[in-house]
Amino acid sequence: MAEAMPAAPSLIGRRIRKLDAPEKASGRTRYIHDLEVPGALHAKILRSTEIHARIVAIDTSAARALPGVHAVITAADVPWQRPIGVGKDHLPLKTDRVRSLRDEIAAVAADTEEIAEAALRLIRVTYAKLPVLADVTAAMAADAPQLHEGRPGNVAMTFDYAQGDVAQGERESDVVIEDVFRLHYVTHCCMGVSGVIAEFDPAGNLLLHSNTQVPFLHKREFAEALGIDPARIRIIQPPIGGAFGSKLDIYPFEPIAIFLAKITGRPVKLLFTREEEFLASPTRQPVLLKLRSGCRRDGTLTFRTVETVHDNGAYTSWGATTPFVMMQTISSLYRVPHCLYHTAAIYTNNPYAGSFRGYGNLQATFAVEAHMEKLAEAVGMDGLAFRLKNAQTAGEVTPQGMQFKSCGFQQCLETAAARSDYLRKHAAYAAQQRAPGPVKRGIGMASMLHVGGGAKIYPSDGCGTILKIDDFAHVTLMTGASEIGQGSETVLAQLVCEELGLPLEAVTVVNNDTDITPWDVGVHASRTTFIAGNSAIGAARKARAKILAAAAQKTGLTEEALGLAGGCVVRRASGERLFELGKFLRGLHFSDRAELVMTTFYYEPPSRHQDREFKGDVSAAYAWATQVCEVEVDSDTGIVRLLKVTGAHDVGRVLNRLGIEGQIEGGVVMGQGYALTEDLMVDHGVIRNPNFRDYKLVTAPEIPEMDITFIETLDGEGPQGAKGVGEAPAICIAAAIANAIWNATGTRIYALPFTPEHVYRALHGAAAPPAWTGGA
Amino acid sequence: MAEVAAVLDGIARYVVPRTLDEALGVLAAGGVSILAGGTDLMPQARAGRVRLQPVLINIRRLPELTGIERAGGGIRIGALVTITALRDSALVRERLHLLWQACDHFASDQIRNVATVGGNLCNASPAGDTLIPLLALGASAVLAATGGTRRVPLGEFFTGPGRSCRRPEELLVAVEVPEPPAGFAGVFCKHGTRPALDISTISLAVGARRDGTVLRDVRIACGAVAPTPIRALQAEAVVEGRAADAATIAAAAQAALADIHPISDVRASDWYRREMVRNLLQRALSHVGQL
Repeated sequence: MAEAMPAAPSLIGRRIRKLDAPEKASGRTRYIHDLEVPGALHAKILRSTEIHARIVAIDTSAARALPGVHAVITAADVPWQRPIGVGKDHLPLKTDRVRSLRDEIAAVAADTEEIAEAALRLIRVTYAKLPVLADVTAAMAADAPQLHEGRPGNVAMTFDYAQGDVAQGERESDVVIEDVFRLHYVTHCCMGVSGVIAEFDPAGNLLLHSNTQVPFLHKREFAEALGIDPARIRIIQPPIGGAFGSKLDIYPFEPIAIFLAKITGRPVKLLFTREEEFLASPTRQPVLLKLRSGCRRDGTLTFRTVETVHDNGAYTSWGATTPFVMMQTISSLYRVPHCLYHTAAIYTNNPYAGSFRGYGNLQATFAVEAHMEKLAEAVGMDGLAFRLKNAQTAGEVTPQGMQFKSCGFQQCLETAAARSDYLRKHAAYAAQQRAPGPVKRGIGMASMLHVGGGAKIYPSDGCGTILKIDDFAHVTLMTGASEIGQGSETVLAQLVCEELGLPLEAVTVVNNDTDITPWDVGVHASRTTFIAGNSAIGAARKARAKILAAAAQKTGLTEEALGLAGGCVVRRASGERLFELGKFLRGLHFSDRAELVMTTFYYEPPSRHQDREFKGDVSAAYAWATQVCEVEVDSDTGIVRLLKVTGAHDVGRVLNRLGIEGQIEGGVVMGQGYALTEDLMVDHGVIRNPNFRDYKLVTAPEIPEMDITFIETLDGEGPQGAKGVGEAPAICIAAAIANAIWNATGTRIYALPFTPEHVYRALHGAAAPPAWTGGA
Repeated sequence: MAEVAAVLDGIARYVVPRTLDEALGVLAAGGVSILAGGTDLMPQARAGRVRLQPVLINIRRLPELTGIERAGGGIRIGALVTITALRDSALVRERLHLLWQACDHFASDQIRNVATVGGNLCNASPAGDTLIPLLALGASAVLAATGGTRRVPLGEFFTGPGRSCRRPEELLVAVEVPEPPAGFAGVFCKHGTRPALDISTISLAVGARRDGTVLRDVRIACGAVAPTPIRALQAEAVVEGRAADAATIAAAAQAALADIHPISDVRASDWYRREMVRNLLQRALSHVGQL
């Protein structure tokens, strides 16, 4: 008998259009902005006009008297409010002090947005100005005012990590270099601005329509902030118009909408304006970083000493914790025996940073890959050979405790270099640096390591699935994993269909209601395909086993002799169709011993929470990539054009080729914006460009040619061998462009962004390189 | 939506006149904001930079303000002509190529489809894309009022950032551009962070006529380097009647620095703007010398 499985084509690796594509492309998706809840009031927030001040008095009487206004609240109306956010240092409504321009002073709920806005204009606030801590230097000064009680020196958080002995590493070095890097503010620019709808039922249960990335953990956060039972909170996520990490924390507008709903007894809808989105949603973490590195004459890395200081802004969100990821790149992207790492996040009166795709890795990679290039040159090696010599390989366990069970890093390096003609072009462009003419070409390389099998930052990193198959063989997959535009619904449906031998149309994914879907720790850390994927496969396999057991009973064949393919129960060996699955399932339903197919599965990855020294195998798999950027630099203007990106990504295995290509392309463009055009200008606590006219996203004409190769290492733990890839493509671009500018011009630029004036100044000696101001 | 409504709250009357006389009558009564494409007016009103007057007059249906045609030795462009229409006009492409180039750099397709040349002129941004080539081409604004019509050369039309000499009772009905001499050619250069959908950090319109080995009728206009779009008269004088050789080009670029008065703002520092005028003017002049 033939061994071959039935000739049902596998869905894995095919180009499958996203399940929500027709809806989105035709403009029918109902985002939170499109939801109209009967009887809802509209809320607006009054923000501070002072950067740092005492609130002396707030007069809301005129606003309260305006017809159509249902509630005007200040901190005095919600004495039971509690601090929110990662640092629990942020009261939704400020009591006696504002610490940044985004600060919430009062809020209004009214019949219309227009009335709510008119009411805001009637609120009078009296301030007494306090000195502004415009940067970390000012905030660390001995006489600086303390921004938060119990935080001496304005230190929000510190991180220390050590492996080996850097002094010994330095003694063993033939070359030692030290540089300071400065990474700037950018923000997510989600197409859908922030918003929430809060509503209490008569029994006091809270329903939130929310764009959160973390519905289950945020139930608890909301409950703590509000002093209510988490079990009485239900969160429904409408389709989310972009998140990229920005919705990983809770922010004051959410509790404020809830306060207003509670006080008015009406549903309350609160939406940001675009300007508010710039002013009051989080940024990427700005970083000042000092890196000291060494190597031997033969190119072996010896040590790295890193100090960073983070401008924490006025409150603490996830941005402060990006060292978790930064130290991984520093300790473990390449083999480095000795590392010492220290970060301090310092409170200032600036905007505060949150989580943002890549999570500190763009910043760390920018510094590390600059030094890889400089060290290579110092010992006379080409950048590829130098990196290959130090690159991790499968089977290694790093001093930080990461275990690289699958690792395509060296293949990424070789593939990206070969496909971009890196070595030849690098030499040719370097030789042209002093040639006449203002326009020069350059090519640069950078690589990255990122978690690809979840990230155990909580005691659990799991995800649950409930799966039912109805009497027409239609599958409803209820997953804890949220869809934020990344295409998780499609991939999860694919994985389930692969197990059950069904076409993609046979699956409906339900993933947006905490009363229905099982628990999950949120969409972050590139974890959804890996964690939710394994969870979905687990549930599907249980369903499959149940069906085959019933089919075995019916046919008298063994379960092993049976299979599912093409919507039928088949003979496993021959593929012969025995009966149509829907008909078989109907038979199970309409029986006096009815047996419905409903299964559950909870997947917990075999990763470990880091110990107090930040050591541990925090992810079940790790993703790798090398990206090569080719640029054209105009020294007359400082304009850097990104011509081509050649990428090689170890993704474990391609599941949905169309989806992963889109994710890589989008990430590359996000990295391009970080490198070349985007700059949230923060000047003494003021964002100077809170609009798309002056905050410049990359537009279509600048998007470069891309040549992306997927390295399939078939990770043993990954769903069908896949690893997470969501954050990876954005991480290397700025670092690779910096190396390309160096190749083109001989000028190394240590600070982002590479906007025309910054580059021009650097090329013409009119910019001071970043100086270390982070203290001794 | 709420913002729009709040902005429009102060409007007592909305008028859509069908004839120029009717429109001028409305303007004569005072207290009027003029709406054409709205691509500047609405964002500025929303941002609180422009206060809408009690009467909003929509001039989009005035036939007198349309069309691009040859008239009396020049080309008359109706104030309502959109940037897209300018870009699609064979007459503009062939005879006013500097202006045509600027239209190709102007904002996005969506904005070009509704933004008008008259609106661009009256908005009087020092960085306005059509202003720079029109200034270089020696264009004049045609201003009508119930009392009569006057023509103002663009060099006198702009009086400051966002300000022109148009009186509140006047309506810009057209811009008249003298036909450039035969052989006149030029380059428009818009410099910013990205090639599309950007406000100029600086812009340049450089044109001249080749006469043997030398350049004549040299015109150089600069955007975003002074309170108004300006002609770089000192730089023009350096090049006029000379060959575009390296020494002349360098001298002209240096001279232009005395013509400009840039400021530092969110887009660039004054220092960088000076550097860009010098570098890009050299590039443009050497290009024009070869046209």
